[in-house]
Amino acid sequence: MDGKIIVVTSGKGGVGKTTITASIGAALALQGKRVAVVDMDIGLRNLDVVMGLENRIVFNIVDIIQGRCKIKQAAIKDRRIDNLYLIPASQSDDKNAIKPENMVWLCGKMRKEFDITLLDCPAGIEQGFRNSIVAADEAVVVCTPEVSAVRDADRIIGLLYAQSITPKLVVNRIVPKMVENGDMLSHEDVVEVLSVDLLGLIEMDEYVVVSTNTGTPLVLQEESKAGKALRRIALRLDGHPDLPIENPMIQKTFWKKLSSKFSRKN
Amino acid sequence: MNFKEDTPPVKLKGVGDSLWVTINPSLPIDQLKQGLITPFQRLKHLAVNARIIIDTGAEDLENRDELIETLGDFLKKEFQVGHVTKPVTPNRSVTQNRIRQQDMGNSWHHYQNDGLVIAGRVRSGQKIQAKKHLIVLGDLNPGAEAIAGGDIIIMGSLQGKASAGQPDNEEAIIVALEFKPTQIQIGGFVAGGMADSAKNRPEFAYIENNAIVVDDYIKENPFRRLAWPEVR
Repeated sequence: MDGKIIVVTSGKGGVGKTTITASIGAALALQGKRVAVVDMDIGLRNLDVVMGLENRIVFNIVDIIQGRCKIKQAAIKDRRIDNLYLIPASQSDDKNAIKPENMVWLCGKMRKEFDITLLDCPAGIEQGFRNSIVAADEAVVVCTPEVSAVRDADRIIGLLYAQSITPKLVVNRIVPKMVENGDMLSHEDVVEVLSVDLLGLIEMDEYVVVSTNTGTPLVLQEESKAGKALRRIALRLDGHPDLPIENPMIQKTFWKKLSSKFSRKN
Repeated sequence: MNFKEDTPPVKLKGVGDSLWVTINPSLPIDQLKQGLITPFQRLKHLAVNARIIIDTGAEDLENRDELIETLGDFLKKEFQVGHVTKPVTPNRSVTQNRIRQQDMGNSWHHYQNDGLVIAGRVRSGQKIQAKKHLIVLGDLNPGAEAIAGGDIIIMGSLQGKASAGQPDNEEAIIVALEFKPTQIQIGGFVAGGMADSAKNRPEFAYIENNAIVVDDYIKENPFRRLAWPEVR
């Protein structure tokens, strides 16, 4: 059976596309799927850094498309997680090095090789975005609870619908305390404007910074709230669409906090 | 009035809110009817419910009333015109009102819609343009744009930019069930939306004393005062 192509996009930059792509990819691979994550941000690659694989890049996506290598040669296998592969972007070219028809061809090949291919879309709605969505089957739109991010996500959703792709929404970097005080948009506010299916909610988490800087997979960190949320998102994305969404909330009482500390296994 | 040999049997011009039809009464009735068909066909739906004045020239013509009645019936049957009269100085009276009511009652059957009705959510970056009125059954998101020659009616939340009465219709209004636009324009007037000003009630914007005013639509409905329901 042919694999799925899923694009992770947002419009606005810096909302967490790359981290989420890497984490969902890792989580799906841990579930036993053959997963490839493709960095579409040609010229400004960083998915390789987030995954801690930058020192192993030999070929990149532009080399594949220009026929200088095969997909198998360019795909870098993750050492910690089986079945997880990275196809890095080129750092010396720009977005125009790839045309939409090249992506249709590449995604056709990827479908044969992998169960799930995740495309890490660059910010913006130009060539890089067009290339990323042209062959995608599904889309994950990442949005933070900020008015500017919501505006851009709305634009992206319109463009995705125009391509007959039905997007799913991930709201990232929720700070429950600020939401409670009314200083931050709640995920309900975001969903009300965007009106698309919600895939998951991710709480602001310091582990993310550590994980992206050291290149260790976030989903392997048991204590990370974001890692946990991303594992659930991966489940909902593939095979378990009915898994309930966990709403990040402040842990109210001291006793609750204490008990959750004691119940932790390691 | 004298009719020359080469005068066309029928002449048509717009006078006030009526169509003034000048006929040559010396010609046979069939030729007159034939002469009426061409200009009225050209009018298409504009002829529907139009008020017609048939001018036979000389007032002392013996079969004048009969001729006007025959041609009037013909026009009503063929082109659904409204009231047909002979040229008289209009005398505004009770009968006038009755005629207006009659015409109004008939007018909806033939009225051709020139509003654009859209269902769904208009998202950021999307732009909807209507020649005349625009009705959106859904929300207009921030960053989206609606432009209309006439009114804009949003059956949902208006959060984007709405420009009604473009380019210069200052009678146009903007109505929304939830009124929190980024910006609105009516004709040449512009107003910025104010954060958190929405009352969670239908509101509408219109021009008063060269400024855009926003009011509660239920309380201040501007059309309640109209004597007759009319086409906008």
